[in-house]
Amino acid sequence: MKIFKQVLYILLAAVIIGLIANAVNPKGVPLVMDKNIYALDTAKKKEEKKLPDFRNDPYDTTANKQFNNVFNGTPNKEGFIEPENISGSLAKQLYDRNALFIDARTKPEFDSLHIKGAINISYEDFHNLPSEQRKEMMRKYNKDGIIIVYCKGGKCEVSIDLAYDIARLGFRSVSIYRGGIHEWKDSGYPVEP
Amino acid sequence: MRKFLSNKYLLTVIRIVIGAVFIYASVNKLFNPADFAKAILRYDMAPLFVVNIMAIILPWVEFSVGILLISGIMKKPVSILAAISLIFFLIALISAYARGLDINCGCFSLEETSSKGDILQRIIEDFFMLAGIYIIYKFMGTKKELETINSVNNINEIK
Repeated sequence: MKIFKQVLYILLAAVIIGLIANAVNPKGVPLVMDKNIYALDTAKKKEEKKLPDFRNDPYDTTANKQFNNVFNGTPNKEGFIEPENISGSLAKQLYDRNALFIDARTKPEFDSLHIKGAINISYEDFHNLPSEQRKEMMRKYNKDGIIIVYCKGGKCEVSIDLAYDIARLGFRSVSIYRGGIHEWKDSGYPVEP
Repeated sequence: MRKFLSNKYLLTVIRIVIGAVFIYASVNKLFNPADFAKAILRYDMAPLFVVNIMAIILPWVEFSVGILLISGIMKKPVSILAAISLIFFLIALISAYARGLDINCGCFSLEETSSKGDILQRIIEDFFMLAGIYIIYKFMGTKKELETINSVNNINEIK
């Protein structure tokens, strides 16, 4: 019995140290997770519809226009508009309307195969930059332009993390294509090289 | 066999090795609860409201167990706690393996890319550590117990 008491004491000590460490840690997390942004089924999904014709301009930083209500989310309590999940066919429709595709994988992965015309922002590199540099890097892109972030597909999560990082910088139409490069390629959509 | 397993040098080596593995496993996670929470989410087992709590506390349990195992303080309760954690990890790992989840186990590193066989290898390692902990628990007796074991062995040898 004495042993189990000791087990409990050790556990209790670990709990207390853990809570304190988390409280003083600048990278600490809230005790209860708000929602699982990584789960496929619970994440918000953009409704499927046939889009009207328009042309997105990722580099037009002067214009301040929303495109045909494709994305018109309201800011959450942290003050940014959360990225939404989109299907392959919606991604393709947006691709045809010149949306900016961002590949969140590493440079070698990007170099071996990516969606045609996509740019590469490796989540690992981007996330470790100071926020000033992140802002600087994204300055040339249209904050109202349609941005679609993807990674390899399946269980990969860097697209989600990168999309949230970008949305936090004030980009208003960020979405996540969870099918990723695998689904895109299997659908016969344009890839390079 | 029994005498071999109660050899205090062997027991010390097992203790330090397992303790080191526990500490090694915890260091990446101690100050990085967000990434560890993600690793827990990938298992798709724990309800959402406990994920962060687990991510905050588990690494410190691992770390304490590691430190205590190496220092040799409170060997019995620490080995019980080590066994509980290992069984806990084993259940998660085996379940992930059985469901064919293509994930990184999140045991040592928190990187996302999964390498095939990662989970299976960890399962095997965990079983070995569990065996080690059992040996520590079973044969790391008090001095008195050890003396009794030794004297019994001596008697057997004399016979």
